[in-house]
Amino acid sequence: MTTYRTPFTASLTGAKWAFSTRRVQQSDVVGISDRVEEARSGDLVLGRVEKIGSHKRLQLTSGRGSELYPDDLVVVACGDRYAPDQFEGIARLNRQSSDLLASGGVLGQMRQKNGKIACPTTIVPVGLLTDANGQVVNLSSYAETTARPGARPTAIGLIGASMNSGKTTAAAALANGLRRAGHRVGVVKITGTAAFGDYNAYIDAGAHFVCDFVDAGMVSTYRQPVPQIETALELLLGLAGEANCDVVIVEFADGILQSETAALLRSDYVRSEVPSFLFAVPDALSAVGGSATLSEIGIAPLAITGVVSQSPLASAEAEAMTGLPIWTRNALCDPAKANALLASAASAAPFCEVAA
Amino acid sequence: MRSRESVLIHRPARGRLGLPCWLVLPSRTAPDAVPLIAIHGIQRGAYEKASLLRERAETLGRPLIAPLFDRQTWPHYQQLVRKGRADLALLALLEELRMEGIWQTTQFDLFGHSGGAQFSHRFAMLYPHLVRRLIVGAAGWYTFPDAAEFPLGLAARQDRRDDWGPKMEAGLNSFLRLPIQVYVGEHDCKPDENTRSGPAIDRQQGLDRLTRARRWSQAVRDAAEARGLRPDIDLQVLRGCTHLFSDCVARGELTDLVLPEPDAVASSETRFA
Repeated sequence: MTTYRTPFTASLTGAKWAFSTRRVQQSDVVGISDRVEEARSGDLVLGRVEKIGSHKRLQLTSGRGSELYPDDLVVVACGDRYAPDQFEGIARLNRQSSDLLASGGVLGQMRQKNGKIACPTTIVPVGLLTDANGQVVNLSSYAETTARPGARPTAIGLIGASMNSGKTTAAAALANGLRRAGHRVGVVKITGTAAFGDYNAYIDAGAHFVCDFVDAGMVSTYRQPVPQIETALELLLGLAGEANCDVVIVEFADGILQSETAALLRSDYVRSEVPSFLFAVPDALSAVGGSATLSEIGIAPLAITGVVSQSPLASAEAEAMTGLPIWTRNALCDPAKANALLASAASAAPFCEVAA
Repeated sequence: MRSRESVLIHRPARGRLGLPCWLVLPSRTAPDAVPLIAIHGIQRGAYEKASLLRERAETLGRPLIAPLFDRQTWPHYQQLVRKGRADLALLALLEELRMEGIWQTTQFDLFGHSGGAQFSHRFAMLYPHLVRRLIVGAAGWYTFPDAAEFPLGLAARQDRRDDWGPKMEAGLNSFLRLPIQVYVGEHDCKPDENTRSGPAIDRQQGLDRLTRARRWSQAVRDAAEARGLRPDIDLQVLRGCTHLFSDCVARGELTDLVLPEPDAVASSETRFA
């Protein structure tokens, strides 16, 4: 096991830097360590693509997907992944071969996968990247600095029954509607795994400010301590306020039964910062069961949205059984309707002034 | 004769549903100059609004934007959310004008006369955060902040699953906090062929514009107080004036109500602080 310094900036420039590493100052990297077994979440890894599997592209820092080829050199971050429709994996590297757990550039060891999904793309870790002090470069060193205390925007949470229930579509639509209504809109993705899909969707929708847990120094929130995620939320909401947003949409990844999301929804701090929620569900039964689950922890969503809203019949079932209004993507995109929804959210947050 | 210190220009519509407008652009405009959006009545007098208010806008250094909702595309623009969504058309125009650098504040003053007053108060009910000050002149009828069915009030109509009244009610607290100036001509006290009438509206609002302005102003005041808010609404009956905008400007010092001198605004703000 050796650690050595080498002026290899030029060769790293040729590597594909994953989106998860977007905050890293690349010139800080001056060395490499082969102690890959010691990697922890957020450590930067230089790897060589071994076999192309489920993820055929790597999301680059530039915001585009890059087709992967065997023997490509990539810079990714060691991290965990929780994705019921794809993989569960942990932040642990295997010297012989590790797994690309997310196309945003998360490398780890797969624990289990969805039956519909092919095996992960495998990557051989060449080494952990180190800085001038010989320390392994970790995303936590590149977290945004503390936001200035100031006015907090009105926050609306976006939670879902499951992965792919329509949360991001709903959040983006609401961002679009509120922007067109003249608001300055921020979107915060507080949990999940580093990827540019949601990030870009929010920018495309017209959000003035977008950030996620990577901006708080985490590559993934899976298996991270809840107080650390709460601290990240405080930082990211502060940044949205610093960016003069008057409203911020906070998306929680996966479903409300996912461990970190479930814990956050019970957190007094989170509930004080995010007092109202939209609930995205794939079908009527999820709406009924999910609403009951949320009711047990004292959450009454403002409305139901998501995949279910595409079906008038399923929407009618969900509305009849839950008594909650169903909001389609088009309704969320409507400035007048989005503004009314925001007013409802603001009235649930008596200490937040809605100000343009 | 002094040279003009503003330009009055016509900006054609962009696209099929875009709005053309008249713009008064003072030669000197501060970065924080709040624009005035002036909405015409059913006679479509956008140019008249811009030209009669030009001199004061010029003096104050405030951009004036007078959009035109043409008869063919926007027959019911004053009801805001009917066919074609006039609110969205105005939002789109304002976004374009912001991009062009015509204005850059977060809010604007919204003024409407007659049908334009109908448009304006309903727009402010849907988007109260965008409006710094609302001026409602001689509206034929109003949406009241009460439990009558929309559009007379804010309750959902029985045959509508997703109605606009509740959307307006969601932001009602913000609307009720707005500084609102209502005016109507002293002689605008008889129904004419353009005055909407019927048992329900006459019972709720009265028969003529003067009565309706009084009742709506009082209803706004009552709704604010019922919610524990301090109402900031003032009704001016313009002595000797009819329903005509030009008449209200010439006889009634309407310009002072729509574009008050800064000192007047300051004293008004002090009064309601």
